[in-house]
Amino acid sequence: MTTEPNRPRRDPRAERAARVAGQVTAAVSEPAQFSAAVITRVIDDPGYLILTVVDAPDRRLSAHDRDVLGAARKLADAGGGAVLALAWSETLDLGAAGADRAMIATADGAEARAALVLAAIERHTPRHVLFADRAPGGGDIGRRVAARLGERAATNVVEVAQTGIVRRAGAHEVRLAPPHIMLLAPEAADPVTGARHEARPVDPPDVTLTPRVQDEGPVAIDASTVPLAEADLIVAAGTGVTDWPAFHRLAMALGATEGGSRAVVDAGHLPSDRQVGASGTLVEPRCYLALGIAGAPQHLQGIAHCERVVAVNTDLHADMIKRADLAIIADAQAVMPALARLAEARRRG
Amino acid sequence: MAEVCVLVSIGRHPVSGRARRADLDARAVELGLGLAGTLVRVVHAGDPAEPVLRDYLGMGVAALTVLPLGPDDDPLPSLVAYMRAHPVDIVLAGQCAEAGEGSGLVPYLLAEALGRPLVAGAAGLELDGSRLRALQALPGGRRRALSAALPVVVTVGAGAPEPRAVAYARARRGRIVIGPSVASPDEARRSWHVAPARRRPKRLKAVVGGAEERLAAATRMATGTGRTLVNPDPAAAAQVIWDYLVAEGIVADALGATS
Repeated sequence: MTTEPNRPRRDPRAERAARVAGQVTAAVSEPAQFSAAVITRVIDDPGYLILTVVDAPDRRLSAHDRDVLGAARKLADAGGGAVLALAWSETLDLGAAGADRAMIATADGAEARAALVLAAIERHTPRHVLFADRAPGGGDIGRRVAARLGERAATNVVEVAQTGIVRRAGAHEVRLAPPHIMLLAPEAADPVTGARHEARPVDPPDVTLTPRVQDEGPVAIDASTVPLAEADLIVAAGTGVTDWPAFHRLAMALGATEGGSRAVVDAGHLPSDRQVGASGTLVEPRCYLALGIAGAPQHLQGIAHCERVVAVNTDLHADMIKRADLAIIADAQAVMPALARLAEARRRG
Repeated sequence: MAEVCVLVSIGRHPVSGRARRADLDARAVELGLGLAGTLVRVVHAGDPAEPVLRDYLGMGVAALTVLPLGPDDDPLPSLVAYMRAHPVDIVLAGQCAEAGEGSGLVPYLLAEALGRPLVAGAAGLELDGSRLRALQALPGGRRRALSAALPVVVTVGAGAPEPRAVAYARARRGRIVIGPSVASPDEARRSWHVAPARRRPKRLKAVVGGAEERLAAATRMATGTGRTLVNPDPAAAAQVIWDYLVAEGIVADALGATS
């Protein structure tokens, strides 16, 4: 057998994907703009619109939001439509997530947001309206919109295709044609990868509404009672922590939930329901502050879904330092009191 | 004292599939008992012969009203008619039913039909004169205070307190009252193609690119965006961590600009 050393390897899967993408783009009139590496798809005159309401809790697109935009993309590409994304804050990369038009509106509270969505539906008459079925965000707004329009929304949709959708109903699943309003469960469709979309700004409608339910602001809670799996901010200790009073003081000062590696839980420094990792709890906080944790594979599995990791460790080559978004090579005993003092002086709420 | 009515449904045990007291509805009854004591009104639209209904009576409710309906009937017209005939200040319901369609839309449609505000996902309730103060559960164990003037419809989420245990004697003693109902067959539902739910595969991360990229993605460990400070002064390290937490909106700074 002869081999050619420089012959590029065939990748049938990539070829297939390219063929499918080619068919889709051909159907949608496309004066594509080429940037350095990423192609921006522009849809100037869409046949119809798919309105997608993006929750973006804490001003970032969550994985769930990307799935919903992916589903909208699928429904739009099926017949030359475009995706109109409605978001509640500006710092979002809607174009990369698959939005052709972006409408940034300011409305606080579910009632005001539902009113804004209703006004947007009236103005743009989208073929479908998609929400992320998540309490208390899109799940609440979507049901309000459906109730106001008197339409039967499909909730907890687990699969979206052009031909029909699958929604979960108790122990059953129901197949039906895509209705006007859909509330999507996570992973109902794949997020958009590859091509960028234009995200051309669209003015939001003006809505004035006196909300009947008043928001009276966040309520202080005792972070130590929050289950680890639910926690927002976790301060976790490993064997590098010896000054336990300082650790507890830091958690209190930051309003964070305490966690620990298997080693410190086995040593009895923390109760077993505070163990993070494969044999403890798999956690998904918005931020994970690891103090003196080297990062055993089982521990890193436990924090696989953390968005942000801050690590304080004396070993520059620890796996946790590689995983971290912000790594401090220092002794946790020295950093903990300093951070606690800062938090006690400066933290609000 | 405010008049409170709780809408309850028949639950379904997630493992055995047997009928049970629906968890969220039981939490709603628990909150209702806290607001109105044993005078709380409990309403079910469905089969009055269902033995599980007695479990709600066993929580200390004196009587339970059933609006008799078949399994294919839409409960909404009966509930709207009942609520118009017997107006109450607070209607409580679990956020989502465990059996049937389980869309969680009934409280919203009811609130819309009655023209009342709706508070979603309550974890705690408190009466303050003619206003209702509710604690709404947010992700991350956080809570938000909401308030609305009575009358109001409230959905109760999983953050609400655990329901009390069922007392057998009370469950036997409680009365089940048959109320009026409006037969309204759910036509749309008959056309649905219903099948037992199947477990869906968890999505694997799709990797774009050739074999080399796929291998790299399968074997590489997740790495952060990597900012590393080597042996900083403790105060400087604390300041850097604090600034990061504030910039990412994790904690709010009392001095600087915050989100």
